[in-house]
Amino acid sequence: MFHPIAWLLWLGAAVLPVMLSQNPLYLAIVCLAAGIVYAVVRQTSPLAQSWSSFLKLGLTLIAFTVPLNALSVHAGRLVLFTLPRAWPLVGGPITVEAVVFGASKALSLFTLLLLFAVFNCAVDQARLLRWTPAFLFEAGLITSIALTFVPQTLRSAQEIREAQAIRGHRFHGVRDLLPLFVPLLTSGLERAVQLAESMEARGFGGSLEPLNPRREVLIKIATAMALLGLVSGFFTATYFRDQQMLGWALLTLSLTALALVFRIQGQRVRRTRYRHGVWRRRDTALAAISVGLAVTVFLVRVCARTALTYYPYPPFSPRPPFNPLLGSVLALLATPAVLAPTRREQATSE
Amino acid sequence: MIEFKNVSYSYPGGDAPVLRDLSLTISEGDFVLVIGASGAGKSTFLRCLNGLIPHFYGGTFGGQVQVMGYDSLREGPRGMAQHVGFVLQNPEDQFVVETVEDELAFALENYALPQTTMRKRIEEVLDQLNIAHLRNRQVSTLSGGEQQRVAIAAVLTLQPRVLVLDEPTSQLDPQAAEEVLDTLVKLNSDLGLTIVLSEHRLERVVQYADRILYLPGNGQPPLFGDPVEVMARVPLTPPLVTLGKALGWEPLPLTIKEARRFARQFQVPGCKFQVEPETQNSELETSIEVQDVWFSYNGHDALRGVNLTIRAGEFVAVMGRNGSGKTTLLKHLVGLLKPRQGRVAVVGIDTRRASLDELVAHVGYVPQNPNALLFADTVREELDFTRRNHHLPSVDYGPLLRTLGLEDFADHYPRDLSVGERQRAALASILVADPEVILLDEPTRGLDYRQKEALAAFLHAQKREGRTVIMATHDVELVASCADRVIILGEGQVVVDGPVRQVMTDSQVFASQVNKLFRDARFLTVEDVLERI
Repeated sequence: MFHPIAWLLWLGAAVLPVMLSQNPLYLAIVCLAAGIVYAVVRQTSPLAQSWSSFLKLGLTLIAFTVPLNALSVHAGRLVLFTLPRAWPLVGGPITVEAVVFGASKALSLFTLLLLFAVFNCAVDQARLLRWTPAFLFEAGLITSIALTFVPQTLRSAQEIREAQAIRGHRFHGVRDLLPLFVPLLTSGLERAVQLAESMEARGFGGSLEPLNPRREVLIKIATAMALLGLVSGFFTATYFRDQQMLGWALLTLSLTALALVFRIQGQRVRRTRYRHGVWRRRDTALAAISVGLAVTVFLVRVCARTALTYYPYPPFSPRPPFNPLLGSVLALLATPAVLAPTRREQATSE
Repeated sequence: MIEFKNVSYSYPGGDAPVLRDLSLTISEGDFVLVIGASGAGKSTFLRCLNGLIPHFYGGTFGGQVQVMGYDSLREGPRGMAQHVGFVLQNPEDQFVVETVEDELAFALENYALPQTTMRKRIEEVLDQLNIAHLRNRQVSTLSGGEQQRVAIAAVLTLQPRVLVLDEPTSQLDPQAAEEVLDTLVKLNSDLGLTIVLSEHRLERVVQYADRILYLPGNGQPPLFGDPVEVMARVPLTPPLVTLGKALGWEPLPLTIKEARRFARQFQVPGCKFQVEPETQNSELETSIEVQDVWFSYNGHDALRGVNLTIRAGEFVAVMGRNGSGKTTLLKHLVGLLKPRQGRVAVVGIDTRRASLDELVAHVGYVPQNPNALLFADTVREELDFTRRNHHLPSVDYGPLLRTLGLEDFADHYPRDLSVGERQRAALASILVADPEVILLDEPTRGLDYRQKEALAAFLHAQKREGRTVIMATHDVELVASCADRVIILGEGQVVVDGPVRQVMTDSQVFASQVNKLFRDARFLTVEDVLERI
């Protein structure tokens, strides 16, 4: 339907406003756009799950978050009713503000869930992992193997649990984990050895162009230094308010160094790719719209800080502010649904 | 051409060498079958061919292995991958990526071949193995036979001249195994690909082999030669060959067709269904009662109206295709699954009302994979654990371990045992609770003929002691040697239910080799024939 990279950009553009804004009106627009895309995507995706389970999950979220917030936060002027103050924690006024704020939080969680559901539906993760840059190829491969290991492990866990249950094993304490854990671990290891053999027998590994030993050591030292710089830069920037500039400088420096190391490593990889996903015109359109949207949201956030924020408690009003221009920009998130090929087009192209 | 020159090898930490001074030559285009008891070094031999030994496993290696002029020690697995394709036992465990087409591309990508070459090679291999229709499928959704064919395709994309397979059919049901072997025979005859394969169930494959290599283990010198010659000199043989050897048939027949000639002289017409009516069973009490049981997994009907009565002391074999409901039925009998509709009663207890605790006091269930059970540091602790769970006092495990041939392994770490020993250790850890009903799911996977014989004898003894034995299996020969009743399931329904002699004589597929040869209800096993002739 779309290129994985285009989908990735769309996901980024959609997640950004959800992370930056609690404003229920903007969230609702994103949620609606995601819903429309989901409805279109699931028609053609073999991975689509049922719509109803998502709705159920969303309703459960709302059912938990709204009462929790309403019962625990007693700020606000618009009092619905008051619980006896003697009751611990929940005692006090129950306000409209707290209810609205809880609902907007639930909505933002639900929207995030929905966005990832769309992404999951639309993009085969294994294929996405093949787009990891050359120097990260092994990391991508490991992740993809891990993804297939999870269902296998779950299946064998079920098998082991049943086998031990019939043997009279009952769970009483931590020690009883052993009969479940040991077979799971050992069979996992045995599977891993088989997989490693199979990969080795198909020429995996040793696909790096050899370097002279001195450069090899240099690269290792550079990687270690860059990672160290990354951690300390992050630490400095977050914990020492007055040294923020230094922290950011460290971060930038070590990120650049890492990118350089990766680039050098990437040039050594002797591998080719079988799949070259086709980048169509609609991918360019989706990518451009997504990037534009993300930049707009980011600029709004930087230039007009209050435009996105939403805080219903006094001295602010529970009625969320709304900028129609920003709203219509966010509505562009429904682009994939509009640009997606119809079913007939899809059938002819594949 | 493959050449072994004085090859010796021992695993790291292993005291005795697995291969000792092995020298042999395999000519190009041969179909070579490697046989031997479990632990005799078959896998070790195969792994020498592509350098996994010693490069992957370490250990002490001496001598030289050359494949098409390439030294496997010098080239290593990566260098050898272009000359030797290597396929493992369990298809599921050798897949790296999710879809069939990407799996086929994996090896090519590792060798950085240009994309146009990759496309061409993948299309070719897809056609050679008849799997073009699977190209976009996820490997996890394929059947066992399809998976193994994809695994073969994934190594053939590098266009090796030799294909090595380590027990490629041991995890498959007979139909899937047939599918894989047919593919191999075709590759061997159409492409001239040299095939080296190890296998336990010789009756499946012996007729295709040009050469057989027998590894006796314990450092004894191997036998390598013409199938008929090797078969005549080795102890592990399929029932047909065993019979031929016992009756002195010359030349030794390897297929039913070849044996017919000799069998004709014994043919006694008109005694096809001389089966003793099962009067002796009818007064025995009912052990298991299954009434109109229905069960479904995610909307798919796994059992559809199954009715069964099994009496105490019966030995029942449950057969049928993969997915016909065998395991589901067994799980109902131990109460792991409860019927959606209908009733299952085990020794008079309704499984829907009873807790698992009540049921497991009477029923022992040995799962397909013994590894799911074994966790303790020694076999003895394994047995202690079961006794403790059942609130039974610790007893002397000597007799039980002796009958299972495990007396020397009581203090061994269960995971270090061979496949057959592990299977028996799992059996022991269930039987130590002294159940009245024993359920076994595929107990013979990966067992050689001798181990299978021992298992059959043991189960038979259990039956004589009055226990009910119910076993789900694909292994027709095992059923012929020990079961007395066969139930064949199809699509979740009982298709056939009857005494083993009658069912086998009636069936083309579910019949033992000896029975196929004589087509006579009196002859199921080699012993049957030898007793009467």
